[in-house]
Amino acid sequence: MKVSVPVALGAALVLTGGAVTGLRAQAPATFVVESPTMATGRFMPRDYSPDGRNLSPPLTWSGLPPGTRQLAVISQDYGAGRPPPWVHWIIYNIPSSAQGLPEGIPFDADHPMPTEIAGAVQGNNGWGLSAYRGPAPPAGSVHHYHFAVFALDEEFDLPPGLDRGELLQAIEGHVIGQGDMVTLYERQPMSERPG
Amino acid sequence: MTLPPKDPRPAISRRDLLKTAGAAGAAALIPDAVGAVTEEAPALAPLLAGPMTNLTASETEILSAMVDRLIPTDELGSGALDAGVLQYIDRALSEAESDAAEAYRSGLAALDQYSRYSRGGPFIDLSTVDQDSALIDVQIGAATGAGAGFVGSSASFFNMVKSHTWQGMFGDPKYGGNVDFAGWDLINYPGIRLAVSPEDQRSLEADQLERARRSAYDFGLFE
Repeated sequence: MKVSVPVALGAALVLTGGAVTGLRAQAPATFVVESPTMATGRFMPRDYSPDGRNLSPPLTWSGLPPGTRQLAVISQDYGAGRPPPWVHWIIYNIPSSAQGLPEGIPFDADHPMPTEIAGAVQGNNGWGLSAYRGPAPPAGSVHHYHFAVFALDEEFDLPPGLDRGELLQAIEGHVIGQGDMVTLYERQPMSERPG
Repeated sequence: MTLPPKDPRPAISRRDLLKTAGAAGAAALIPDAVGAVTEEAPALAPLLAGPMTNLTASETEILSAMVDRLIPTDELGSGALDAGVLQYIDRALSEAESDAAEAYRSGLAALDQYSRYSRGGPFIDLSTVDQDSALIDVQIGAATGAGAGFVGSSASFFNMVKSHTWQGMFGDPKYGGNVDFAGWDLINYPGIRLAVSPEDQRSLEADQLERARRSAYDFGLFE
């Protein structure tokens, strides 16, 4: 299933919160972020969480603004973290030729990136790991997970391991477009799962 | 759907790997067993279960797979299984770490339950990629909420095993680990000396210092 859900600029700014500091004075263009396995406003599959294989989910994007030379992605939860957001995933130096991210980006730096995103590197999430780690909210609470994609007008060669603040600082003034996708997750412990 | 990268190494059953490594470690610790192991391969399974005092056969398998991922044997040198970490931990559970026996029992069972729930199979049968992924979730505490039976945070269990693995790998061989000084060789530790001469220091800096393969207890000062 592929669900197209364009995000309005106003909503994008609200959803990405602190990321607005990385924007230009001129409002960035918006573009569409989708996933072949997830849909905005729906629960994500458990394989993207520690209740499953904890794979990074696939993303696709379309309608990038002209002049896009590189992309960056931050996945975060504004309902967690002290202070919020809790960062689940950061990946950047993504070539503009990429039309998305495949499922299961390696969490081991010794494993090469898929060829379509060669050169991309991962930053440090809330656990201090340069890898995707999916939702693990307290049982019984539904959390929202944002996948914010930034279109950049410059080809950066940033080192791996940047945290969210460091990445936003590095790309400040170079964000010419932004898209966002919001999914949900609620843990269902073994004891509460039927069968 | 694109699947994550698979382990580039040939598909070797984790059980086979365990038996091989377990036999090697046990043989190093129990010289009398060497003949039986090398001459008669079928003796592997009993040998694996035999030397363990505290861990059951099932717990031994799971812990073997776990420490093998923490310090694998690779091109850099020997791994935890080669160094007898498994035997070190089993022995420690009878001695200095006897209070941890129940934590191992519940933690290893929980790790296996968590692997079945999240990755669809027992921990020892997962690919190394999935084993590493599961261990990361245990390490950061994300496995706790899966209801697999971890007592407290799964991170506590991980840190306990990691700490004991480090001890068994890099501690003094007197305590049963660091077999054949595998851990010290791995980190190029030159060994224990009661005195270091200027010549020793120069040799060390030139990476030419002969390694002193002795336990601290061989010096007689610490008995």
